Formats: sequence, structure tokens, C-alpha cells
Amino acid sequence: MARNEQTGIRAARWYVPYLLLLPGIAWLGAFFIVPMASMFQTSLDGGLGNYSTVIADNSEVIRRTFVFAATATLTCIAIGYPLAYFIATRGGRYKNVLLALVVLPFFVTYLVRTLAWKVLLFDGGPVVGILQDVGILGPDEGLLNTDIGVIGALTYNFLPFMVLPIYVSLEKIDRRLLEAGSDLYASPFRAFRKVTLPLSLPGVFAGTLLTFIPIAGDFVNADLLGSDQQTMIGNIIERNFGQEFFRPELSALSFMLMAVILVAVLVYARLLGTEEIA
Amino acid sequence: MRPCASSRRLVVPQLAVQRSSRRRFLGQSAVLVGGIALGPGLLAACGDDDESGGGGGGGSLAMLNWPLYIEDDDPSTSPTIIGFEEATGISIDYRAEIDGNESFYEKYGPDLEAGRGIGFDLVVLTAWKAAQMIEAGQVQAFDDANFPNKANVIASQASTDYDPDRQYSIPWAIGQTAFAYYPEKTGRELTSAADMFDPAFAGKVTILDEMRDAVGLTLLGMGEDPSTASLDQMLAAVDRIAAAREDGQFRDVTGNDYTEDLQLGDTWIAMAWSGDIASLKADNPDLEGLEYFVPEEGAMSFVDNAMVPIGAANKANAEKFLDHVYDPAVAGPLYESINYVPPVEGALDNMSEEARNSPFINPPAGAKLYEFRILTPEEDEELNRAFVAATQQ
Repeated sequence: MARNEQTGIRAARWYVPYLLLLPGIAWLGAFFIVPMASMFQTSLDGGLGNYSTVIADNSEVIRRTFVFAATATLTCIAIGYPLAYFIATRGGRYKNVLLALVVLPFFVTYLVRTLAWKVLLFDGGPVVGILQDVGILGPDEGLLNTDIGVIGALTYNFLPFMVLPIYVSLEKIDRRLLEAGSDLYASPFRAFRKVTLPLSLPGVFAGTLLTFIPIAGDFVNADLLGSDQQTMIGNIIERNFGQEFFRPELSALSFMLMAVILVAVLVYARLLGTEEIA
Repeated sequence: MRPCASSRRLVVPQLAVQRSSRRRFLGQSAVLVGGIALGPGLLAACGDDDESGGGGGGGSLAMLNWPLYIEDDDPSTSPTIIGFEEATGISIDYRAEIDGNESFYEKYGPDLEAGRGIGFDLVVLTAWKAAQMIEAGQVQAFDDANFPNKANVIASQASTDYDPDRQYSIPWAIGQTAFAYYPEKTGRELTSAADMFDPAFAGKVTILDEMRDAVGLTLLGMGEDPSTASLDQMLAAVDRIAAAREDGQFRDVTGNDYTEDLQLGDTWIAMAWSGDIASLKADNPDLEGLEYFVPEEGAMSFVDNAMVPIGAANKANAEKFLDHVYDPAVAGPLYESINYVPPVEGALDNMSEEARNSPFINPPAGAKLYEFRILTPEEDEELNRAFVAATQQ
């Protein structure tokens, strides 16, 4: 009897979770699903040929976009992992201060931060001057309007999104596992490789998603710091959407970008084997 | 600070009016967003409590224009705007946010195509885009009773192919597209539009991403007339640009932001809009070495037109403001300040001697200025596709 009563209560309230989900579903429906469906419909105006045309016309831009995104993401890992590791293991009582320093530049808007790079990197500016003096750049070379300038700015702008998740995953590692490792005669490097690294991979995975995806769709850095030789997919869409006849192809380009990212993320999740997230 | 009740009073009736109309849901929300966007302007206006007339007179007006098209680029100190607000009690929410004809249409085109308002009562777009919008029925005819000074439009602009009686559009500013350069860096004086393709300047030249400006000046350099050139000639000019880009001739293909690299000195030669260079030199006296130059073949001329878009909530106020600007006594100082050719007859008489002699404001008789031929939609698409492939992909 008690059991019946219990199921009775459960049955009466089966809809409660759905009610709670309703605002979220309505929001997603109105502002994600509907625009997506409309964009997909636009991308088919004039047939599936839009997809092949836009990929053929922009093959160089598409290749460049993913090279930029991959390079900037890897650079983020290369800079962000040691930084997060240092803060998590050696930060001591300064941990919060150091984390605040990582986030501090983000109190200034994205656009202004990027424009500030322009002032730093211009041909007659301090950075180029120093690099020319030490011989890294030739006398006629600069950083603005180069691949390196744009990739550098992308790395800078998205670095905290890499540092923070890696920090969180390193922070929650149980130190006793490392002690146990060294008790079993593992060298510090071996203990890092066998214990710390695998346990921090979910952080690297999350950080990669948070950097790679927005970088692949970014247009601000290439627009402000690059030239026509650094055009990314985002720039092509941003500059040409005003022309009515381009819209079907640009919608197709957006969908292609999304599809490639989705596939890349799935493959990446499979390779890294982080069941927790994927 | 006192609470600003008047702004609420002004916004709410506007929404109430919209609610009673038969717009569809999305149309209403677009207007709602427009109303919210208008809010800050009204709030700013109430700070000084300078709103005269309560119910009958007064009101508001939202205008969307290009940068550097009003005194000092600052609506809060612009004599043209303040003079109008004081005379009529109508407050203006003026935004200098148009960055390009395409980017404008990217943002507002879908609403205009659907026949909805865009939250602005007055917008300014270049002739070819104005022509397309008039053709598509996206702008409203002026009520001449509110705009008697329309008769002051200069003779050369009183009638155009796209608007024979100036019913829908009136020039806000007329300018030239030519070049700015540092003679010191190029090491020689430039004379021809074709100089932008000189390999000696590889990597130091910027061209504009406005197709008509870039293709037009290239055509002039090739000895063609952009106001009559055939599509094939235009496509040949695009090929010329593509080949130069392939060879690394251009530092960048830019929009409004070309002035930044030019100011930093990274660009030696820039395809440039006349008024920009005049303002740039006026604001930065240390840019002495920068010269504006009109090629011997001539320069491109552009006319930016003010229009009332469909769905505008304050059409009459927009017309009254244009009437104010078309008063030669107002136009004189305005165009002297922004350094563009005044489209208003008699404006030159209300300027200083120096301004009257400026080639930016009063191009010498015999100056060869070309307007790009108005293209058919098919030509427009083909040429644009070629230009995008040549400059972006």
C-alpha cells in the first residue's frame, strides 16, 4: 500500500520536470531552432549546388580558418597548461590573485583589447622595433597583416578559456595519488605522465572546445589585425551577407562550418576518450 | 539627479500607438526594440530639461548616418542639430553608425524587405543603394509641405535616373573617391590612377572594399569611363585588381578603417574618401606629409542620399530636419566643417573664403568627376561575385 501511494505521487507529478524545462525549451526553440531552420532553408535556395559552389570558391579561406583555429588552440594549450599547472601546484596563497590576473584583461571589452594590439604591433611600433633590432624580423617585415599577428591575437583573446578549465581539473586532483606514485618509485616526470596528465585531460578537452569553436567562427581579429590575406570564414559571411544573392551560399557556408566543427569535436572526443563530457 | 519622468512619458505613447496598429508580432517586437534603442537618447535629452512644448510641438527623430557627416562627429555639440532642437523642440537621436552600404543592408535589409520599420526615421545611403531601395519600395515619398527648402538642391542633383523628381531621396553629402599618399615615402609625385599598381609600392597600397570605388578608379587608370563602361570592361578592371593582389601589391582591402593604417604611416598610398582626408589633416596637424591627390584621369564621385525608410514613426520630423539642413544659412557652416561638397544652393555663400576655395568643398570647374554607371541586377551580381573573388577569397 505504501508502495502504491508512492507511485501515485510520482505519477501525479511526472510533468513537473517538463514544466521546469519549458522556459529553456521555449528560449532555444525561438532563438536557436527557428533561426537554424530558416538558415537551412535559405541555404537550399537554388539547390544543393550552393554547398559545392561555396566550398570551391572559398577553399583557401576554409583551409586558412581551420589552420588558424588549430594553431591558436595548440598555442593556447602550450601556454595555458604550464600556467594553469603553476597556479594550481605552486600558487599557494596567491592562487586567487594569479587567477584574477589571468581574467583581468577581460574586464576590458573584446574590441578594445584587439584594437590595443593594433597600436602595439604597427610597423613603427615598439614590438616590431624590438623584433627588428634583435633580427627576428627583417627591416621591411611587420606583424600587422600577417598570419602570425592574427594567430597571436586569437591566442591572446581566448587564452583564459583554456587556462580556467585546465586549472579546475588540476586543482581537484588528489595529491595523495602523486605521493603514492613516488612511494612506488615513480620519477616526478613519470608520476606527472601517468597521474596528473590523464586526470587533467577533461580540462584540456573542455578548454579546447571553448577556444577552437569560437576561434573558427571569429572575424574580429582577422578584420582588425589582418589584411585580405588573412580572411577567415567569419569575414566572408560578415562582409557579404548584405548582398541578397549571396545569402543562400553564405548560409550554406555557415552550415558547413558548423558541420565540420561538430565532426571534429566528435572525433576529438573519441580520441581523447573523455566519457565524462562526450 | 532628478528622476527623468519625461522620457517614460515619451516612450510609452509611442508603443501604445504601435500596439493599436495591425502589425504582426515580430513587427511589434522590432518596433519595441527600436523604442528601447531610442530610450537613451531621450534620457540624455531630458538631462537639461530643454524640451519645450509638452504635447503638441516637440517629439523626436532617430537618424542613422555615416561617421564624419556632422560637425566634429559629435551630435551633442553639433550646431546643426542643436539649432534644430532649439527651434522646434524635436529631439534628435543621431547615430553615426553606418560603416558601408552592404553592412547597413545586412543588418536592416530583412526588416525592410518584410515591410517593417527599422527604428530610424532617416537613413543616408550611397546613390546605387538608394536606387535599389527606391526601386524596392523601401522608402517613403517626402511630403513637400514639410520640406519647402528641397527646392534649394543644386541643379546637378535636382533630377537623377533613380529619382527623377527627388521624391524619395535628397543628397546629404557629395564627395570624391581618389587617393591619399605620402610623397616622402613614395619618392615621387603620383599623377595617374594606375600608380596604385606600380610594383615599387608593393605591400604599401590599400584599396577600398566598396566595389564601385575600387573598380571605378581602376577603370580610370585603364583609360575607361566608369559612367559608361561595359560589363566586360568592368570585369577586366576586376582582373587587374586580382592580379595585383596576387602579386602582393595591396597591404589590405579596407572599409572605413583605412585611415588607421594611413595615420600610423604603414600605408603609403590609400584609396580614400575626400572628406576623410580633409578631416584627418585638420585633426592631426602633424600629418603634414600626407597629400590628397586626384589622378589626371579624374576621380570617382559619390552622392550619399538621405531617405525616410518605410515604417518610420516620425516621418514629418525627419522632413523638418532635412528642411533645416537645406537652409543655406545652416548648410554653409555644416559643409565647411565636414569638408564635403554641399548639395544645397547658396551654401557656398555662407562659408569662409578659405572653404570656398577648398577642392573638397568646391571642386574646380572642369574637374573630371565620374559616377559609376547604375547596373542592372544581373550585372550587379556578376560584378560583385567577381570582386569578392578578387579581393577576399
